[in-house]
Amino acid sequence: MISRRDMLKWGVIAPAVAGMPAAVSAAAPQGIDALVLDRRFSALDQQPAFTAPVKWIDGDVTKLWFEQLDLRWRQPGFVLGGITGPDALWVLDVLARDRGRRVTARKVLPVAAGEVAPVSWVIAPVHPSVKG
Amino acid sequence: MAVLPPDLTAARFASFLDELRGAVGADYVWSSDEDMVAYRDSFSPIWDTKEERLASAAVAPAEVEQVQAVIRIAGKYKVPLFPISTGKNFGYGGPSPNVTGSVVLDLKRLNRVLEVDDKRHFALVEPGVSYFDLYRHIQDKGLKVMVDCPDPGWGSPVGNSLERGIGYTMPHFRDHFGAHCGMEVVLPDGEVMRTGMGAMPGSQTWQEYPYGFGPDPAGLFAQGNFGVVTKMGFRLMPLPEYYRTGMITVPRRRDFVKLVQHVNYLNDSGLIGEVEYGSPLRAKMADPAFLALVTKTGGPSDAEMDAAASQFGLHNWQVELQFFGPKATTLENWNFAKGLILGDIPGAQALEGEHFALPVTEDQLDNLGQPYPTSIKRRRSLGVPSLGEWKIVRDDGHIGFFPVLARTGEAVFEVQRVLGDAMKEFPTLPPFFNALTTPLMWHTHTFQMVFAPSVKHDDPAHNAISHAAMIKCVAVAAEHGWGDYRAAPVYQDAVAGSYSFNNHVLRRFHEQLKDAIDPDGIIAPGRGGIWPRRFRAGGAPA
Repeated sequence: MISRRDMLKWGVIAPAVAGMPAAVSAAAPQGIDALVLDRRFSALDQQPAFTAPVKWIDGDVTKLWFEQLDLRWRQPGFVLGGITGPDALWVLDVLARDRGRRVTARKVLPVAAGEVAPVSWVIAPVHPSVKG
Repeated sequence: MAVLPPDLTAARFASFLDELRGAVGADYVWSSDEDMVAYRDSFSPIWDTKEERLASAAVAPAEVEQVQAVIRIAGKYKVPLFPISTGKNFGYGGPSPNVTGSVVLDLKRLNRVLEVDDKRHFALVEPGVSYFDLYRHIQDKGLKVMVDCPDPGWGSPVGNSLERGIGYTMPHFRDHFGAHCGMEVVLPDGEVMRTGMGAMPGSQTWQEYPYGFGPDPAGLFAQGNFGVVTKMGFRLMPLPEYYRTGMITVPRRRDFVKLVQHVNYLNDSGLIGEVEYGSPLRAKMADPAFLALVTKTGGPSDAEMDAAASQFGLHNWQVELQFFGPKATTLENWNFAKGLILGDIPGAQALEGEHFALPVTEDQLDNLGQPYPTSIKRRRSLGVPSLGEWKIVRDDGHIGFFPVLARTGEAVFEVQRVLGDAMKEFPTLPPFFNALTTPLMWHTHTFQMVFAPSVKHDDPAHNAISHAAMIKCVAVAAEHGWGDYRAAPVYQDAVAGSYSFNNHVLRRFHEQLKDAIDPDGIIAPGRGGIWPRRFRAGGAPA
């Protein structure tokens, strides 16, 4: 279960990530340990530097998973934010649930008709075994 | 959303969950709507309908003794359990059960790689170990063996092989159940059994000789519901010295018959790895006139396809070959394959592909160095787990029908025509079966073809079409002797029903066994189309 404390914490983070492309935010949302950005959405390339570490993917999360998340998500803590395609988010969501984590915020970003819309999201630890 | 197990009141369910918490710890029993989202089949064509199969709770033991305890508690309350390894069986039901109200027995915490031997070439793992985990273990320890993994590779060797899943390397490793060697099973009464040499105390050969003595029941646990597998051994391929690829094309439509015969010979002689059949003509399917030809009712004639190929200046068929072994051997096997096929099929051409020493580099895994357009996915071909497959999944997922057919060109042509015509009833679906549809040679000694219509969570009308098409595909294929090899719970009764020789004696035999060892249906009632007496009145408790 997500606690009220968690809800308040992620509630601050989610809008910040969700509005990021439009807001051109230079600062990483507070409380997020890393951001996953999907190169398939070219607008993300034009953002100024983020203060949180950025993990770039091209829709395929294989390397991100094997080299980083698979190991990091075995430990407590680590809140991940991202703006990706819904396909990449679905994969990360399934993997996150295996490690006591969950998508705690999600917002489909506006795009032109017919285009695949990116999704901004936050994945946070919720199970007692990984809550920081 | 909340559901109860069959025949159980809310109060009894609460007591049952309390006992589970006592067995595995309160943090590893889940029943809230929020928690149970993880145990829905995200690829279900009956998503959010009243037919969707929903679990009531999930429990995750960490030790075999806890698995035994959970099974005994379930037996006391007569609650059906649905065991999953990692629950990644998407397209075939994912983590969702056959019976609504079942409790998912989630084995993800049994996640130990118990042994990998690169001198005798085997692994022994628990069900929560993923292909990524096994691959990492092998890499970290520098072991000289290769995993044969499915694609995507996030599932578990135990779960995938029990589903009779497949891989992409050499023939005798691609059939994952065929490559298993020894298992440990918790039976419906909670007893622990080991198969093969594992039944002999002190044996050192559990992962080397699968049979032991007497009847081998291991097959009952694949796509079955006779126990919960808690350990499983697998044969592993020694890491080859070298990897080589090549492509052969043949000009005429009917050349496919001989091409298949030659590739069968190469495969069955152990000279090649998984092959990718294809057609250079697929690049022309955006041409409306050509699309109409390849999807023509009754199928196009050989002459029509040959004329189209000549017009485009392309060959009708191609096959990509892969070779594993010592460098000199891979070269000789490639030369042999070229000689065999080019010497027998006039106009056949061979293209040299990329080749390199193993272990593979990251650049080589990206597969950008082939001198021709390739369908081979390099990671899976070299036993490196990947999640990249998900980029090509349309909409919110798909269902899957993979009929087993004879390894002949004629059988392929017949499936193209029969199922192509049958699916014209569903014109909004892509033409999965058309005159260019090629077979998969994933399993060791058979062909399969693929029908995988998509599902959309927000479009029940679309899902209803996919669902109806799937049911029709199973039925029409069965009329021709083409059986599905694996199915989601919602299709398992229909598929099992198509294996009907001698008045369904196979199913009746399975039911007799189920009645004998699990009459209350504690382990996955309905899985594989096998229902215990308690549930046999139409899939619901009698």
